[in-house]
Amino acid sequence: MTKPLRVKVNSDVLFEVPAQSDASLLQSMEQAGVEAHFHCRSGFCGACRTHLISGEVAYTTEPLAYVRRGDILPCVCVALSDLELEH
Amino acid sequence: MKYSTFNQALVNPLIEPMFFGNSVNVARYDQQRHSIFEKLIEKQLSFFWRPEEVDVSRDRVDFHAMSDSEKHIFISNLKYQTLLDSVQGRSPNIAFLPIVSLPELETWIETWSFSETIHSRSYTHILRNLFGDPSEVFDDIMVNDEIKKRATDISKYYDDLIFHTQLWQTQGEGDITIDGETYTVTPRELKKKLFLCMNSVNALEAIRFYVSFACTFAFAEREMMEGNSKIIRLIARDENLHLTSTQHILNLWQYGEDDPEMQEIAEELKDEALAIFTSAVEQEKKWAHYLFKNGSMIGLNEQMLCQYVEYIANLRMAAIGLEPQYDQTSNPLPWMNKYLVSDNVQVAPQEAEISSYLVGQIDSEVSATDFGDYDL
Repeated sequence: MTKPLRVKVNSDVLFEVPAQSDASLLQSMEQAGVEAHFHCRSGFCGACRTHLISGEVAYTTEPLAYVRRGDILPCVCVALSDLELEH
Repeated sequence: MKYSTFNQALVNPLIEPMFFGNSVNVARYDQQRHSIFEKLIEKQLSFFWRPEEVDVSRDRVDFHAMSDSEKHIFISNLKYQTLLDSVQGRSPNIAFLPIVSLPELETWIETWSFSETIHSRSYTHILRNLFGDPSEVFDDIMVNDEIKKRATDISKYYDDLIFHTQLWQTQGEGDITIDGETYTVTPRELKKKLFLCMNSVNALEAIRFYVSFACTFAFAEREMMEGNSKIIRLIARDENLHLTSTQHILNLWQYGEDDPEMQEIAEELKDEALAIFTSAVEQEKKWAHYLFKNGSMIGLNEQMLCQYVEYIANLRMAAIGLEPQYDQTSNPLPWMNKYLVSDNVQVAPQEAEISSYLVGQIDSEVSATDFGDYDL
């Protein structure tokens, strides 16, 4: 059993996600009580755009929205390592 | 630089800039300089819908049960959206097609603009159901000062780019005098006009629809005008895609991933780009004031709408590298989101539509997580 990954959001919310999560990072953030921004939830609108301070994510669907350097789209990705995010 | 509908010069579309390079000749999509536009075309085609698929007949009863102030809100928003889509159904074609240089972007522009014409057609569908003769509503768009003020602001950057492109394509570079007025036409000036125009279109797609969307969905929250709401959800989904395309264009310029001169211009005109955005925000707030001049509606008032405009403006500004300008960082209308989730969009009651559905295609994408449950 792989160790769960730790996700820190806005330096005040800290939660764990399973190493191989079925849920998108956005869903995990919501479950942890983060008031997340979103619209389409399928990677094309970019409303959930989040700054990745540290860590690595993997996309489950290729985003159509422009992902600026240092940003991620949590609605279509999962954590690959511990993460620090600004949302 | 005369425009040709089939440029016979041998050009390599993989090294052309998005705009103001050689004009496009062969419409080919097997290779792209910017593959995102090909993907956006596919996505927009998979979203295809027709207003007649949505039954709006129950809305008539709801509409007649509304108070006068609610009728004002509902009809005014439809008028404003009619104006926006009248502009968007033609202007990207007229302004951008004569100067575009990539086949995938050329077709994206046509696909984008075509989808706006579907939106326009849906306003006729909605209004025809509410009124025996919707002429009164359409005719007022041309005489209503509140709408006309917005029309001026929305069309001026397009008109300026179109006019200067026409001068350049018919008379070439230099100072050109028409009816006693002199216009300076240089490639740099044209690119600046393109940059400002793209920012204005981006602001339009980013925030101008949202006051109206919020009112529609506030009615839907009360289980009123649900046919209309279904149509507006389809429109909102399309608009989100269009916005993604203008954000891509602006970011590609800004990051120097396209025309290096456009990167310089993006830096040079950053303040003007910001001003275009903030002035659109102010106009939308004034529009909210106009909507609620005769009274609010249940669940929504002017203040909440203005907060929502600021909230969404912050998100949209960050997306193109502008500093968010407003204090409103949380969503004051959280129920809006459930209408904006693309996979919740439903057309006919028996047909829950999945946005990734493509005619005659299967989902052949396999990711590592699909094998998460297997042990070897």
